[in-house]
Amino acid sequence: MTSGLQILILGLALGGVYALMAIGLSMTYGVMRILNLSHAAFMVLGAYLAYWALQILRIDPLVSILINGPLFFIFGIILYRILFVPLAGRPRYTEATLLLSFGLALSIEGMMGALWTGIYRLANPPYATRSLAFGSFYIPEGQMYATAASLWILTALWGFLQKTRFGRAIRATMQNRTAAQIVGVNVERISALAFGLGMASAGISGSLLSFLFPFFPGKHWQWISILLSLVVLGGMGSLIGTVVGALMLAVASVYVSSILGPTWSPATFYAALFLVLMIRPQGLFGKREV
Amino acid sequence: MALLDQIRIVIPHRLETRSLILLSLALVLFLLPILQVVSDGYNYVLHVLMVIFMYIALASGWNIIGGYAGYTSLGHPVFFALGAYFSGVLLVYRGWSPFWTAPIAGLVATLFGFAFGLVALRTRGPAFVISTIALLLLARLILDNWEWVGGSNGLSLPMIGWPYRLYKIPFYYGMLLTALLAMWVSYRIRHSKLGLFLRAIAMDETKAEVAGINTRMCKVIAFAISAFFAGICGALWGYQQTYLRPTIFLTIGAAADLVLINLVGGRGTVAGPVLGAALRVGLDELVVNQFGSTELNITATGLLMILIVLFFPGGIIGALRERQRLPRLLDWD
Repeated sequence: MTSGLQILILGLALGGVYALMAIGLSMTYGVMRILNLSHAAFMVLGAYLAYWALQILRIDPLVSILINGPLFFIFGIILYRILFVPLAGRPRYTEATLLLSFGLALSIEGMMGALWTGIYRLANPPYATRSLAFGSFYIPEGQMYATAASLWILTALWGFLQKTRFGRAIRATMQNRTAAQIVGVNVERISALAFGLGMASAGISGSLLSFLFPFFPGKHWQWISILLSLVVLGGMGSLIGTVVGALMLAVASVYVSSILGPTWSPATFYAALFLVLMIRPQGLFGKREV
Repeated sequence: MALLDQIRIVIPHRLETRSLILLSLALVLFLLPILQVVSDGYNYVLHVLMVIFMYIALASGWNIIGGYAGYTSLGHPVFFALGAYFSGVLLVYRGWSPFWTAPIAGLVATLFGFAFGLVALRTRGPAFVISTIALLLLARLILDNWEWVGGSNGLSLPMIGWPYRLYKIPFYYGMLLTALLAMWVSYRIRHSKLGLFLRAIAMDETKAEVAGINTRMCKVIAFAISAFFAGICGALWGYQQTYLRPTIFLTIGAAADLVLINLVGGRGTVAGPVLGAALRVGLDELVVNQFGSTELNITATGLLMILIVLFFPGGIIGALRERQRLPRLLDWD
């Protein structure tokens, strides 16, 4: 039997990782109104890369963050230029990006299946099976490292958005794209940068995912719906909302898991999504669309 | 003689030939099972046509919300599964034939679609798609763990008590009628006030609402109607398969199929889903017969979707119409 405080600790630790996983998704939507359904597919791809880096090159998943981040950043910018720029100006733009990224997610899923088959994988660095005890509470060591890495990256991202010119331009574009353009922000470049950052966060999350949760190619559908539900809870396009939503739902899911068993913990996210749509469709920090 | 002349005046010549071709095609399809009765060996043809009819019904239904109103749903497999399990459970525990319970299964799916739509269609835009993915995964989770309906092992249904030679025929007619009904409903909606409202919503929902349209109710009704056909198809398909299993109904792949069929044929047109369904099943038969089913099928589906969104957003019908090359035979709007 796990106590309430233990659940809270585990939930918050998990929520930190979820926040990192979802932040890119939220930013891509906020800056460009792109709903990237392939976000989690790239996350799983990142997990495979980290897995093989560990198996073949003996590179620790925490170290492979340094490979996945830049790799996915560059890949993201290329993808944005090739696939999403031609869609600009389309009527029903978000819908088009959604279908496009849906196709992208399927292609990646198929390729991962062809390359690495459908069996469950889990990277196994030495700390993955150890646990640390603090008094009467415990926390899995891998989870702790992953949370620490997530928080560190989220803080760095926050600093980047607050303190640098590029960061300010990204925030301005999120608030009002047209106005940002008028005051001289190169919206196209900012969009490419934001998409690259979003993809980098997917790649980095993949490294963490590789040793935290078992994965297989089709797993990304479950992940994307979990991530989207916490983005919707926080309010689409609100970065703070995404972090708050991630923490809340992670704690709730650990709680549900301790009562009903781990099978039902994903149901927390879906139920929360329906509740949000019923009670407050714009989410916690969202603005009501006119 | 005079009467004949009058009829010629009333019916324009071109419409006459188009209706004639389509009607004779329908007649051929209705009479085709006679071949199987007279001489065995057409079960494969009947099966392939039956699958085409099913996809026509499913995709035409999807088109009502996904095409006319422009709200992409990835949750339609849930209604398909709902219909299949509803009729399947009645067959196993009560012995009622799915041929009688299929319309009720359709209505159950409609009711469920209405209730779900009331919640999920409160918002505009992308939140709806997200909620349909969640619905799909939630339904999968529930069915996988609900032992009464077999859990993840599924439920075995008794076979239909017909001789092997004839057993495809009732399913063939069931799916044919469902497909015709779906096409007719799709056509009627397209030419009704509701259809006009839905298309207004697809173009600009804010303006539609300002113009006095109850957009939320229109969307919910469209969604509920579109669930009806998925429910019926599910009931018939489950009986035909003789077993129900969450993995055959509730996959994102099944949802992607409906989206892709509509994208290829042409979203928001009456003929688009019909054309797309025929192509989808035809190509699938060719590819699977030639190369077997592999992971690369998923990749091909995804790449096709990307290419269509980038280069042919209107699908085949839309691209032809844009170039004014759309044959009248296929112009049903």
